[in-house]
Amino acid sequence: MITWPNFVSQLFNGLATGALLALISSGLTIIYGTLGVLNLAHGAMFMLGGYAGYVAFQATGSFVVAVIAGALFLVVVGAALERVVIRRFYDRPPEDQILLTFGIGIVMVELVRFGFGSLSVSVPPPAWAAGVTPMGFLIYPTYRIVVLGIAAVALGTLYIVLYRTRLGLMVRAGIEDSGMVGMLGINVYRVFMMVFGIGAMAAGFAGIVNAPVVSLTPDIGDSILVQTFVVVVIGGVGSFPGAILGGLISGEILSLTSMVDPAYSQVMLFVVMTLVLLLRPQGLLGQRGRA
Amino acid sequence: MPRGRPLLLEVLTALGLVLVPFVLPYVGFAPGTVNQILVWGLFGIGFDILFGYTGLLSFGQSAFFGTGGFVAAYLLTNNLMTSVLLALVIGTLGAMLAGVLVGMIALRRTGIYFAMITVAIAETFFFVENSPLSALTGGENGLPGVPTPHFVLGGFSYQVQNGWSMYGFLAACYFIGMVVALRIMRSPVGAVLIAIRDNPLRARAVGHAVGAYKLAAFVIAAAYAGFAGGLLGVLQGFMPPDAFTFATSGQLVMQTAIGGMGTLYGPLLGAVVWLYLRDFLQEVVGLGSTWKLVLGLVFVLLVCFLRRGIIGGLQDLAARLTAKPHPPAPEESAPIAEVAPPLASLGPSPRHAHAQEPGAIVLEARGITKAYGGIVANRDINVSVTAGELRGVIGPNGAGKSTFFKMLTCEVPPTSGRILFEGRDITGYDVSRVCQLGLTKSYQVNQLFPRLTLRHNIMIAALAERRGRFRLDLLRRAERVPGLALQTEQTLALIGLTARADVPVAELAYGEKRRLEIGLALASSPRLLLLDEPLAGMSPRERRETVQLLKNIRRGRTLVVVEHDMDAVFELAERITVLHEGTVLAEGTPAEIQRSSLVQEAYLGGVAAE
Amino acid sequence: MERLVSGAPTRRTLLNTGAGLVAAATLPGFLAHGALAAETYPPIGTYPAGSAGDSVFIGISVPRTGTYAVQGEDELKGYLLAIEHINAGDPLIKKISPRTTKGVLGKQLKYGVADSEAKPNTAVQAQSRFISEDKAVLFTGSTSSAVAVALNKLAQREKVVYVTGISGSNDTTGKDCVRYGFRQCFYGQTAAAALAPVLLKTIGRNKKAAYLTPDYTYGHTVQHSMEEFLKREGGWTTVTNQVAPLGAPDYSSYLLNIANSGAEVLLNVNWGHDAVLSIQQAKQFGILAKQQLVIPYQIPFLSKEVGADVMAGVLAATDFWWTLQDKYPLARMFVEAFDKKYGYKPEWGAENAYMSFAMWAEAVERAGTFYPPAVIKAFEAGQHIDSMVGEVWMRAADHQLVRPVVIVRGKKPSAMASPDDFWEVLEVVPGEGLMQKPDAFGCKLGDYT
Repeated sequence: MITWPNFVSQLFNGLATGALLALISSGLTIIYGTLGVLNLAHGAMFMLGGYAGYVAFQATGSFVVAVIAGALFLVVVGAALERVVIRRFYDRPPEDQILLTFGIGIVMVELVRFGFGSLSVSVPPPAWAAGVTPMGFLIYPTYRIVVLGIAAVALGTLYIVLYRTRLGLMVRAGIEDSGMVGMLGINVYRVFMMVFGIGAMAAGFAGIVNAPVVSLTPDIGDSILVQTFVVVVIGGVGSFPGAILGGLISGEILSLTSMVDPAYSQVMLFVVMTLVLLLRPQGLLGQRGRA
Repeated sequence: MPRGRPLLLEVLTALGLVLVPFVLPYVGFAPGTVNQILVWGLFGIGFDILFGYTGLLSFGQSAFFGTGGFVAAYLLTNNLMTSVLLALVIGTLGAMLAGVLVGMIALRRTGIYFAMITVAIAETFFFVENSPLSALTGGENGLPGVPTPHFVLGGFSYQVQNGWSMYGFLAACYFIGMVVALRIMRSPVGAVLIAIRDNPLRARAVGHAVGAYKLAAFVIAAAYAGFAGGLLGVLQGFMPPDAFTFATSGQLVMQTAIGGMGTLYGPLLGAVVWLYLRDFLQEVVGLGSTWKLVLGLVFVLLVCFLRRGIIGGLQDLAARLTAKPHPPAPEESAPIAEVAPPLASLGPSPRHAHAQEPGAIVLEARGITKAYGGIVANRDINVSVTAGELRGVIGPNGAGKSTFFKMLTCEVPPTSGRILFEGRDITGYDVSRVCQLGLTKSYQVNQLFPRLTLRHNIMIAALAERRGRFRLDLLRRAERVPGLALQTEQTLALIGLTARADVPVAELAYGEKRRLEIGLALASSPRLLLLDEPLAGMSPRERRETVQLLKNIRRGRTLVVVEHDMDAVFELAERITVLHEGTVLAEGTPAEIQRSSLVQEAYLGGVAAE
Repeated sequence: MERLVSGAPTRRTLLNTGAGLVAAATLPGFLAHGALAAETYPPIGTYPAGSAGDSVFIGISVPRTGTYAVQGEDELKGYLLAIEHINAGDPLIKKISPRTTKGVLGKQLKYGVADSEAKPNTAVQAQSRFISEDKAVLFTGSTSSAVAVALNKLAQREKVVYVTGISGSNDTTGKDCVRYGFRQCFYGQTAAAALAPVLLKTIGRNKKAAYLTPDYTYGHTVQHSMEEFLKREGGWTTVTNQVAPLGAPDYSSYLLNIANSGAEVLLNVNWGHDAVLSIQQAKQFGILAKQQLVIPYQIPFLSKEVGADVMAGVLAATDFWWTLQDKYPLARMFVEAFDKKYGYKPEWGAENAYMSFAMWAEAVERAGTFYPPAVIKAFEAGQHIDSMVGEVWMRAADHQLVRPVVIVRGKKPSAMASPDDFWEVLEVVPGEGLMQKPDAFGCKLGDYT
């Protein structure tokens, strides 16, 4: 159904969808870039952020508190995981780390199922962001526009942290050359713990911010995880700008191709990813020689 | 590589499979469960070859499991074929074809990238089965009505039934699958796959076409997956579409990790644990939906504490109990004989076919330049080395020696200029091809196969020379490769480590590892050998011995040595090339170099200052 | 989380078929029906081993993890209540199956529950085990047609009776029907036939419709049935059919296409969590304010998850809604018993589950034996049975229950009498007129033996 208004609508929707994907993926890519760990529990962390926010919302009724709680909870979970388990795996082959995080993801999902059951739960958007906004060419849910804004601000903040602070310098040093962090005379483990916390936070934050858009179930992270893979592979594994670019591209693919044949829009993601791999194996903004 | 007495594992496998129907029912296993375990176990054999032995973790095996299964089921349920076995074989071929196509894309990357790509590709396969091809595959309903095999043997006809009758058929399939897998892992290909897992860089440098071997492992894994997928359809009487889902791949990975990677039997044991615990937790313990949580925890704990799974854990335990300690590393490594063992008795080797004429130019660098971004590491280097020569290359730190060496062995391509080896332009060749031509190097930082024994290390290198870059001799025993044993022994003798041959590399002393490093290069019988700081980090005694070793190995070979140890270089080399700031500063006999004021100014002074 | 292990299932691992046969042949005939039958019928499937003792076993596989876990747990509760009632000879059961005293043919029911994860493969595996190990005389459970079809084929192969759980595809009693499988619930075809006239009456003729269809056979058949009916009977046109994959994490792009399509009615064919998500998001996009939402097949717990405010005015077809208790005395007994035991009003999955066991018990009592062909023939006799939605009977030609389809409309939150009072029953459409000819979908039942 290609009409001009629909095209503009989908273009905008792709941006909104892509921004959220970019936010989740940036967490995955920061963790991988710095620690060399592919976090297969990232989808579960996205889900966990939503549930943590849900609990906070139930207790306080405040959406802002819910968002803060969702993000903070994942910082704690991420840092604790790094400190207690992941750290033991730096010396082991990357495959072991994948297995570990894969297992942790399953445990998280089933723990939530154990605690909350399988019935979906929802967090309503804040009252000021409920309803729809007429935008001339389309009517768009107000909260989704807010999500776009929040995601942009969050990505901007992450950018500042990564490119304008000492921690960011260390993280980027780690991304470029993992040996270098040690040479800078920094307590590497503390940096790693913080990075894992920040990466987990990006997922958890996205999870709670996205919660009013979707209803939460324990399995909600599964399909997101695969999409974030596509995002980082397209953008370049370990590249923060790559995650943003990849996210936006993926969002647009999902949206725009749905106009032609909606059944194929998800699989087009994989087709584009394959093309990127064939033409530019390191990803659009990835560095040659990594991974 | 599975070791032990020949055929012992095969006999034990057969025995085990025969005993199962008499034992397992008494501990609560239904034939249906056992049959499922066999299918998972067979599926896992291929995955273990891919992951446990070659080190490639794929989360996309469901693509091939489903492909093989649906091709076979389609043929059978549409009456295009009546022979179940033939359909299974065609299904397996279909999966292998898919494996070749997917492998060519996914294997462009390694490690984590590879894992992610396989996930995405498997999702695509699932989509294709479920949506565009649903008219053929039945979509989410799958293909019902897959018949059981029917055998006719000279008037005697047998229709396989469900239950233990089906077990007999599946057990036979599993047995054949295991026998083939054991053969593969005992073959030269198996040895190379393990070497790739341990150190892909070195496997390539000693002359193996690593990419092709990885693809081979990938296709082998796809074949097992496809065959097992076909069997799943036969076992269930219908081909379930969930064979294609990510959950299938995930369960396979977990079962393999639980049972033990790199054991071939791990996936089977993992399936036993997984399926048994799933039933046990639900029915006996009554956990309801919590069973998955418990199994997830079990999995995480196993990954944390028993990294090699249950079988690996048992092996380690057995090894600890029955351990005969290896002879401890000698205080001083065995001395190098003054006279090298003769090489004449070696079997025919393509590399010795045309010996170098003395005085001919073996290696020639014509104006090679290497720039990294804006930084020029080497500029317009012209060097030629003649046959039989021992050339020293020296230069202060940052002179560009390493880059120069890497270009000579084609590890990095020059930005401009040509490299000629025995008159052939090798610029842009793959490292493995260059090695096959007779040019290789030993590394400044050891590049060994750390989980293998010393002998195996040497064997890996020798295999490349004996078999070429790539050969699919899957069913030949590695030890039976002509000339391999002799070549391995001679190399061991040459580096003076025969007595330590069966010690794992991880347990060697540093000096021994350095010698093995040179041995790996030697074992591929190069006519031109580049040695990157062979004396780095050695004690004075080790230096003397290594110098002696170099003297021994230079007979019949051309050597280029980069070294910081001036005494050694001036003692050994006939000609010396001095690199400075990425260009050739001087070249000449040791005496000429010592006299050169240019060199003294730029270099020897620098040394004094260090 | 509830743990359902009361009446812990037994395993008779050591009792292999041979031993069972011997036992059955040598037992004195103190249980008139069963033992007598054991001597007269040849062995088939798990017969007579499965009914040789003083209890019989039922295999239940429902999803307890994964996307359909919610519906699976509800279904399971219906089964367990039925087993409890049958074993105790509850008055409700006696209304459905007048011959029942306690148990079935005097034998107590035991059962095993396995998590099918909503995967056909896992379900088949679990049921194969129940059949071979526990000698199940009946098995059940599905929340999707994929599982139902797979278990249908297993039933026919193993010659054990299977009663379908939730399965809305035409195929289950259409081209994939089997002699050994029976279905209670209605399906795409009857949903469309029942719902279409109501839609034409309440919404009007010549409307523009948009479809949101999950990309699998069930979705496509239901969508196709609806489209065909509405086009033929009411001149509706389809402006767009948005086909989305199962488990899509976001529906925004599909919904935008629908929003921009100019449709007046949105028919959402999605199931499970996909339905919940797509409806919530349709609301967010303001689509529900402009387009009438129709759910061709109502999903258990949908209103609870989506919220009554969103569901107000939505039209749907369903098997059962608890307020039918005002109309049918059996429904009242069932709702009360269920609410008392589990603390909420049963959804149609539970009702469907309960009735399928009750009807099986009735058929077995009437057959006087567990011998499967005799049980099947008792089903096929087409006995009219009182149920929670009035009289129902099994159609012999395709093993599809002839039963009414209930058309409901979502209540405004202000109109709800209780927190569970989500739907207003508009109509109970009798089933007979809705069904296609038994062979129209290519049903060939197969053999008894």
